[in-house]
Amino acid sequence: MKVANLSPETAARQRTRYRVGSYILLGLVILTFAVPLLYLVNTSLKSFAEYQQNPNGLVQNPQWANFPAAWQEGRFTTYFLNTVLYTVVGACGLTLLSLLIGFPLGRGYIRSSRFWYGVLASFLFLPNAIVAQFQLLIAIDLYNTRVGYIIMLAIGVGIGPLLVAGYAQSVPREIDEAAAMDGAGYGRYLWTFAVPLCRPALATVFLLSAVAIWNDIILGTILFADASKWPIATGLNAFKGLNNTNWPLLAAATIIVAIPLVALYFFLQRYLVNAVVGAVKG
Amino acid sequence: MASTESLFPFRRRAGLRLTFYGAWTPVLFFIFVPAAFTVVLSFTDIRRAPGVPWQWVGLDNYFRFFNPARLGTSLTVIRNTLVYAGLTVLIGCFVSLGIAVLLNGRIRGKTVARALVFLPTILGVTVVGLIWSMIFSVYGPVQEMLSWFGVSSNFFGEPRLALYLVIFVVIWASLGVTTIIFLAGLQAIPAELYEVAAVDGATAPQVFRHITWPLLAPTFTTTMLLNVIAGLQGYALIYVLLGTSRPYAETLGLAVFSAGFGGSSTGTTQGFAAAVAMIQFVIVGVVSIAVLLFLKRREAKL
Repeated sequence: MKVANLSPETAARQRTRYRVGSYILLGLVILTFAVPLLYLVNTSLKSFAEYQQNPNGLVQNPQWANFPAAWQEGRFTTYFLNTVLYTVVGACGLTLLSLLIGFPLGRGYIRSSRFWYGVLASFLFLPNAIVAQFQLLIAIDLYNTRVGYIIMLAIGVGIGPLLVAGYAQSVPREIDEAAAMDGAGYGRYLWTFAVPLCRPALATVFLLSAVAIWNDIILGTILFADASKWPIATGLNAFKGLNNTNWPLLAAATIIVAIPLVALYFFLQRYLVNAVVGAVKG
Repeated sequence: MASTESLFPFRRRAGLRLTFYGAWTPVLFFIFVPAAFTVVLSFTDIRRAPGVPWQWVGLDNYFRFFNPARLGTSLTVIRNTLVYAGLTVLIGCFVSLGIAVLLNGRIRGKTVARALVFLPTILGVTVVGLIWSMIFSVYGPVQEMLSWFGVSSNFFGEPRLALYLVIFVVIWASLGVTTIIFLAGLQAIPAELYEVAAVDGATAPQVFRHITWPLLAPTFTTTMLLNVIAGLQGYALIYVLLGTSRPYAETLGLAVFSAGFGGSSTGTTQGFAAAVAMIQFVIVGVVSIAVLLFLKRREAKL
């Protein structure tokens, strides 16, 4: 069945038009996403005097000293170390919880698995509980403590257990039986077999949660009274409050916060992208 | 029951119970208990400062939200939330679909484009928020362009404009995830269908209308629904862009945060914030169910 009746010339002309149109659109997409980032870099290199004279032109005299200055003034050594600690411990904790909950669900070892799947899905609809979480941490003396903050990060498992469960379904069951035959208990089996078997899923959960924790601003803002315990995003936002006219310094601070993520993204791009796709499908 | 139990090859279930329920304990304690407790707090006048005595106030916080004196602000916040969720989801999904179709074709430079579109997802709300605060700042590039036409703007300080600027930034920041998901959905469509269409001489719009669009429908439904829920709940980026003192552009999510933790919240208690969270919870539930039913019906028609 012919859907359209076009002469070869018209069809060829139309194809060229589509191709030119596609490249124009692609160029627009690239510009829309690249220009704001380039503007950030451009601003970060200006002296404050140059910014005041010419806020939007190309930088004439690059001031690399903006970066150490922003680092010092923004107390980023503290925030950076804090966030590294929160990210590593929080993401490890979250991944461990996802394994312990998700693996037996995926394996069908839990009798009331449908109930627990339902509980996991209901996370999506729960009311915004920041007020109650804040009051709970005060009540159990974990407000303004690193431990309290890390707990709140790690328990935000979201879809982590579902990702592990989905992966655990695809791993052959004979391994469990062989391990049981050899006399291993569930605990030892989980550690020595399940962890290596589920490594791809666990790496996905770890990466996704690490990015989310590194970028957390809300919990970091409400769960600490001492600025010295803030994570980097909260610190950066507070730095903005103090320097909201000195955009070069602020831009430099923003780049300082972004650099580790950009580096991670550069090396793990394919992995991160696949992780997000897997997360939504899961 | 018996069949599931026989699946478990290990001799004792103690280790399983210990690890499974042991892991659930903190999750339930720090997520479900506070979620349920939000209802309870919404009937109190509890404050942010620890140790201040609190009292039961019944439904006062809810009456206060719908009090005639405050109704204007409250309805603005609800309206903002619906406009925000609706526009970010609709524009976001269709633009992402366009970009995904573009990047799915044979075109050079698509790797770079994909990496760039996804980058804001990795950079996070604070970095993205600061970049756009700078672009929409008093002496920023947009102001300079406006000055060519003899116009100037306060951007996030303009009550009628702020919400739409926020919506623009949120779409910019969240296109990456949706685009990547649609790309994965497009790549799952069998190539033979496109080959047959090419043999039949179908034009690009026809291919899209009869192959791509219907086969992408399930992905579209899931993504739309997830984005609607995220749109009705999310507020971190809005907080970075607006702070807590611009009620005219607040959504319910940010209103909860502002009432509970805003610097200038002298008049509001955390009990009130909890009540706003419960109102938001009801709205999220009603809208998600409506959207799900609508999308399911649309999918069945295709």
